[in-house]
Amino acid sequence: MPHLAVRDVRAKYGTLEVLHGISLSIEAGEIAALVGPSGSGKSTVLRALMGLTPITGGDVMIAGERMDYSSARAVRTARDRMAIVFQQYNLFQNMTVMRNVTLAPTKIKGWSKAEVGAEAMRLLALVGLSEKADAYPDQLSGGQQQRVALARALALKPQILLLDEVTSALDPELVNEVLDAVRKLAAEGMTMVIVSHEMGFVREVANKVVFMDGGEVIESGSPEDLFNAPKTNRARNFFSKIIRH
Amino acid sequence: MNYRFQFGVVWDNFGALLEGALLTFQLGVIAFGGGALIGLVLASLKTYGPWLVRFLVDCYVVFITNTPALIQIYFLYFGLPEVGVRWSNEACLLIGLTLNAGAYLTLILRAGFLSVRITELEAGQTMGMSLIQQVRYVIMPHIAKSIYPALANFFIVVLVMGTSIGALIGVDELTGQAINLSTVNYRWLEYFTVVAGLYVVLTFIASIGLAYLGRWTFRVKAKIF
Repeated sequence: MPHLAVRDVRAKYGTLEVLHGISLSIEAGEIAALVGPSGSGKSTVLRALMGLTPITGGDVMIAGERMDYSSARAVRTARDRMAIVFQQYNLFQNMTVMRNVTLAPTKIKGWSKAEVGAEAMRLLALVGLSEKADAYPDQLSGGQQQRVALARALALKPQILLLDEVTSALDPELVNEVLDAVRKLAAEGMTMVIVSHEMGFVREVANKVVFMDGGEVIESGSPEDLFNAPKTNRARNFFSKIIRH
Repeated sequence: MNYRFQFGVVWDNFGALLEGALLTFQLGVIAFGGGALIGLVLASLKTYGPWLVRFLVDCYVVFITNTPALIQIYFLYFGLPEVGVRWSNEACLLIGLTLNAGAYLTLILRAGFLSVRITELEAGQTMGMSLIQQVRYVIMPHIAKSIYPALANFFIVVLVMGTSIGALIGVDELTGQAINLSTVNYRWLEYFTVVAGLYVVLTFIASIGLAYLGRWTFRVKAKIF
């Protein structure tokens, strides 16, 4: 049974359908990378999984359990199983790093403060920010903020982690510090769905690459297959453009 | 200038002035607090409510902000008895000031609501926050921080300009006390010189208090001067 199975999912912004039936499945511990041109719907897939963009059709199954997106209350199950890291970090600006990481586990999940605190310190160490626990987001670089966002997402102990272009907003020299943190998670066996333009990174960590265009999955397969021998013209076009520079 | 200042009579009645100052401070705090509650509710309705509710909120805000506070209070003071409602002088002043502050605070708080970053709300949602939790942990702290300076300024306005209207409907707040006392012995200049000083002391205390409150609670870099 796949850990995450997305079947024929459709999503709309207002009246405009942006996902025209997306399907993908990944096993536990696998990493799937969504790639494709801007506007192809990659980020929308992640937003739809988190219940931020309304799903209008299809199924999302996590470990065999069907996720319900029909109401604000029902969608909390999906939000309990998955956590997302955004392109713009979306940290709470008025809270310290520590509070950003511990707020949801203590106040929303109601987990014990002491355990959450210890776990938060472990996660901050994992992303290399132990000494920044008392800093505020505006005192950190973009790469540091993004690593905090990563720790914040992990503190909720998600089964599946969604990364939405987590390095796109960063200066080039800060990209690697974030990718290194993601590599560590991959090594720990975290199931992840990532949207990324870092093709070298995708090739390195992903078990599966899903090429999207125009709100549809055009082609998917192993990184080798897609990067070296894409079967469709659209995929071939896209990869030839990307790899050229 | 041939005027000879004689402050002796003022000091003899200084206790009465201090009582007035205390009443002024209490009136200011209560009117501002009540106004903030009204403003919070109306700003929420104005931002998230259906159009009819938004329209009614607009009517209230436009009426209040486009007429003098004195006239609004006169309506309560002279108008309500005509329909059989009799409130004390203090109640008329306090309710009038609160309704007045409510309209201005609706505008200030609304600006705060509009400044909330949608990205932080989405982060909160995906972490499983309910609407109430989003308001409590994301919206309120953000609003508090972004509009704190405007709130602090408006508190001073209510404290000084708002409460002194009480003098015209027989409330013995600081200005009212000064008028009462100076009509006894005609030492107007002396009384109002001291009263001006007392107002400065009041606002100074309030400013320092607000600045520190802001620094501690919302990390606002509030200036005292």
